[in-house]
Amino acid sequence: MSEEVKELVVKKSEPLFSKRRKRLVSDPLNDDNPVTVQVLGICSALAVTVKMEPTFIMSIAVVFVIVFANLIISLIRNLVPSRVRIIVQLGVIATLVTLVSEVLKAYNYEMYKVLGAFVGLIITNCIVMGRLEAFAMGNKPYDSVLDGLGSGFGYAWIILAVAFFRELWGSGSVFDFKVFEAIGINNFATNGLMVDSIGAFMILGILIWVQRSKTGYVEH
Amino acid sequence: MRQSNTYIIVFTVIMTVIIGGLLSGANQILGPAQKKSIELDTKTQILKAVMKLEEGDDILEIYKLRIRSIVVDYNGDIVEKDEKGNPIEAEKVNVLKNFKKDKENRQLPVFSFVDENDESKVIAYILPTYGKGLWNSISGYIALGADMNTIVGASFGHVQETPGLGARISSDDIQDRFKGKKVYDEAGSVVSVSMQKGEKGGGGAGSIEFYKSDDHKVDGMSGATLTGKGLNAMLAEYFDCYNNYIKKTANAQ
Amino acid sequence: MELVNIAIKSIFIDNMIFAYFLGMCSFLAVSKKVTTAFGLGAAVVFVLMITAPVNWLIQENILREGALAWISPSLAEVNLEFLQFIMFIAVIAGMVQLVEMIIEKFSPSLYGSLGIFLPLIAVNCSILGASLFMVQKDYGLAESTVYGFGSGIGWMLAIVALAAIREKLKYSNVPDGLKGLGITMLITGLMGIAFKSFIGIAL
Repeated sequence: MSEEVKELVVKKSEPLFSKRRKRLVSDPLNDDNPVTVQVLGICSALAVTVKMEPTFIMSIAVVFVIVFANLIISLIRNLVPSRVRIIVQLGVIATLVTLVSEVLKAYNYEMYKVLGAFVGLIITNCIVMGRLEAFAMGNKPYDSVLDGLGSGFGYAWIILAVAFFRELWGSGSVFDFKVFEAIGINNFATNGLMVDSIGAFMILGILIWVQRSKTGYVEH
Repeated sequence: MRQSNTYIIVFTVIMTVIIGGLLSGANQILGPAQKKSIELDTKTQILKAVMKLEEGDDILEIYKLRIRSIVVDYNGDIVEKDEKGNPIEAEKVNVLKNFKKDKENRQLPVFSFVDENDESKVIAYILPTYGKGLWNSISGYIALGADMNTIVGASFGHVQETPGLGARISSDDIQDRFKGKKVYDEAGSVVSVSMQKGEKGGGGAGSIEFYKSDDHKVDGMSGATLTGKGLNAMLAEYFDCYNNYIKKTANAQ
Repeated sequence: MELVNIAIKSIFIDNMIFAYFLGMCSFLAVSKKVTTAFGLGAAVVFVLMITAPVNWLIQENILREGALAWISPSLAEVNLEFLQFIMFIAVIAGMVQLVEMIIEKFSPSLYGSLGIFLPLIAVNCSILGASLFMVQKDYGLAESTVYGFGSGIGWMLAIVALAAIREKLKYSNVPDGLKGLGITMLITGLMGIAFKSFIGIAL
């Protein structure tokens, strides 16, 4: 990661959507995915993915937190004393997460109850911490926002994919819409293993396999 | 300069003030909306035990019109103030906190569902319950008819029962099975209602039809025997808690 | 008896890894050698055992609605629960710093092998998770301590077991794309199935 950051010495008057900046967003979606390649943020990736709806809300929350945390840390990066930087980062993240949780509690209490403690656990989502430490501490605000968007969406699509399969096989629905009944299969046998944590491990394992076979990434 | 202790302390203090101010500001702004959401949620749960709610119903208005609430203790006497002398509000009683206390010390809310036109005519008594399912807690509201014996409705909720199996307790299909069941036997002692190992199909012993005629047995959910057991234990416990209140009220009628 | 139940439940049934997926980052990253895994596990147990009761005290005496009444009755209406996340994480970060200093002083070899992973404990979801769950489950002080301890032991058990399996795995021929993270996820899933058998324990 660090070599990459060094490469990205910003040239003056770079176009708003230069190739390099596009890569900031697109790389984490696939080749450098935070979940499947960098092995970060697995905790919350799995816990909320029983159904699509909470997963979707969770994704939005994470994207929001990661983008704004990146922006804020990047803005104050030259002011933060390095000895207390971890706690400063945690403070910023915890504040943003609290805001998300408060808003959720006020306007979508149903989801607030479903997600419960897992909203709070975004604080310890390693992706957010990882991006702050590896990118926002050394880059300009605009680039950091793009980087946050990239990592956030990279995380989002993976957990949405996991949730899709878990809800489809585990509850026979997608976004609570009964898919199998809609196409005329009334006695679809749901798979209890998918609803369970085990299903999440299996689906993610296989997802990683498929994705890595495509990108050709091999871990040694 | 950035590494000196003074700088670190000043930086930390400024940051604490900003973060603290931001959060308490957000809390102040969102506080009323949060209170409203919680209130709406509680009242919806209570009403769901006795009536089908439609999208767009004004829950708060219906609640105000139809529900009268009190808090009683184990002996069936009305409690108005807690140990510290503060007034108790039935809607704010934390059922989980009371679940942890001995039965004798619990605050037990009772929500009376009254007639639309005649406030003194109670149609149903709604009792909150709390217990343990297979994975985590389950809770619910069970409604007894004016005779304080026949169940007229139920709404159960759960934290994380198995979807498709135990989680079905929150579906209408299962909750409707409780309607018409009786809490007391003819001698007047609590029998409660219990779910059996269920959904055998056919018309013989153990089928849905078979239990329909039984006063105290409900057809269970296939594959969720343990959730059913938790539900049975929860109901038995709370009918016992409210026993004295029910007897007193029924005698007074 | 209740405390023993909580301990057994948090170690085996509500295992932080297999039931809640908490602390997965370090679980996956530091599970290549049994000795390192054991060291990190011990550190997690230690931190959890301190942070759970400390956070409980903060929750009950400062944050909860009406908790400030002990300072003055006029504060009985104050509800500081919106500061919960930030307080909890601050306590955890502080404790981790403390543990880091203690280990550095008394066991430089362990410090060397845990290396950069010690600061990672602060962002180990299982630590914050235990504190949040303890509030959600409305535990008392003793129960919270036992819950913290049990969760830590459960986490340690899981990571040591996984490390033992991965040490043997070096000699097997795993498909390229599945190497590393992929196969580890599948193994964790299988271990999870084994742990599911503990559900039968009636508590």
